[in-house]
Amino acid sequence: MTTAAPERRGTSEPPRRPWPSAITLGIAAVVVALHVVAWNATGFSPAALVAGWEGIADFFAEALPPDLTWDDVVRPSIDAAVVTLGIGLLGTTLSVPFALVLALLAARATTRGSVTYQLARGVLSFLRAVPDIVFALVFITAVGLGPFAGVLALVFHNTGVMGKLWAEAMEETELGPRDALRVAGASRAQQAVHAVLPATLPQLVGLLLYRFDVNVRSSLVLGLVGAGGIGFLINQSIKLFRFDEMVTHLLVVLVLVIAVDQLSALIRRRLGV
Amino acid sequence: MPDVPALRISELSKSFGEHRVLDGIDLDVRAGEFVAVLGANGCGKSTALRCVVGLERPDAGEITVDGRPAMVFQRIHLVNRRSALDNVCAGALGRLPPSRSLSPRLFPRELREEAMWCLERVGMADQAGLRAGRLSGGQQQRVAIARALCQRTNVLLADEPVSALDPSAAVRISELLAGLAGEGLAVVAVLHQPQLAVRCADRIVGLSGGRVTVDAPTGAVSPEELDALYVPDRVVV
Repeated sequence: MTTAAPERRGTSEPPRRPWPSAITLGIAAVVVALHVVAWNATGFSPAALVAGWEGIADFFAEALPPDLTWDDVVRPSIDAAVVTLGIGLLGTTLSVPFALVLALLAARATTRGSVTYQLARGVLSFLRAVPDIVFALVFITAVGLGPFAGVLALVFHNTGVMGKLWAEAMEETELGPRDALRVAGASRAQQAVHAVLPATLPQLVGLLLYRFDVNVRSSLVLGLVGAGGIGFLINQSIKLFRFDEMVTHLLVVLVLVIAVDQLSALIRRRLGV
Repeated sequence: MPDVPALRISELSKSFGEHRVLDGIDLDVRAGEFVAVLGANGCGKSTALRCVVGLERPDAGEITVDGRPAMVFQRIHLVNRRSALDNVCAGALGRLPPSRSLSPRLFPRELREEAMWCLERVGMADQAGLRAGRLSGGQQQRVAIARALCQRTNVLLADEPVSALDPSAAVRISELLAGLAGEGLAVVAVLHQPQLAVRCADRIVGLSGGRVTVDAPTGAVSPEELDALYVPDRVVV
């Protein structure tokens, strides 16, 4: 026996989905226009890429197979990778105290007033706006070529970036536990230590690991301008047209980046962040 | 009961923009008294309590409290990653020097012992070492009350302390608050359950339209008066 299915239709008219507003269309037009300007300004030309394929082929012909001579290439490459890792590690960890203090002052949940808030935000913006490579060039003039200049550059730039990210994380935290301690008479510092920081700790650690990952890769680039590490060896190989050596260094970098990525993922899983 | 109230609110007014939430509230609460504050959503109950503890700044009126008032919240507001004991100790931060309050590890032994005593008073001593986030809603609210006790308060305010709890936990928390009043605290609890107020409170205060419209011993408040508190825009005369 079959029965007629009940008609599943409301009697009132569903609201019409509105067309995009003039503002939305205007924003879309501006975005398209910006892309056209950027296309022209960068000389973006797929045709030039296709026409120059022979240059790429020559490059790979010289670069492959990689030079795997242990004493002259592989071992120095591994030693330099350890230096690069050290630059990234110290550049991250030594910036923690500065980033933490500035983040606490730059988050509305923990800051002491609007002047302090704006001042801390300004310092973070400055440190973030100056690229780490510029900091490296500045510190090379003070301490000379080598990894120390790279560490200093990363400490300054990472303080700006990580401080901003941490401040944002603190601003997004639920204010209830902080208010509860405020009612109990806790000072602002006590509220930060006993309510805001414990609540945001997983995010802070997650962001710290992310920045460590980024800084290890940044320290490669800093090596290109003389801050030591494997970036310095890559730069030397390019200058000497030893592309087979360069590929060996890049393979070591690949292993380093994968190892750091896996380590960060492992720590994140263990901490549940 | 002593003649001097532990909490005195006089002519308290508060507006948010054009919206007048409190319109001249008067309320006296004595030590040992459990006052239940009832009223429809938006009538100003929570705002009044938040003014008393300083989380809102009143536009006008006067608030006098015997010592620093403590407050427990509907959403409890414990730090979930910390133990119940550490959360209770945090209630004493206001009287700890900075050198002993930078980390829970630095809390003085006497404070930890006092916090255990507070947890015993709310029946949670056996859960002291557990992270707050692993406790049930009712247990968390007990820990929050213990945190308020660790503040050594004379006036305990509770803003909808049982709204997020199941009925049996709500009864137990209400009875706990009544018990604390019996021990000498002045307790003011915003409730949304008139039957709990009738069961546990000494006095019922009803708010409507930002004004106190009912203020009488529990036994003297009629069911009609209670019902009228939840009729929007109606004032009991």
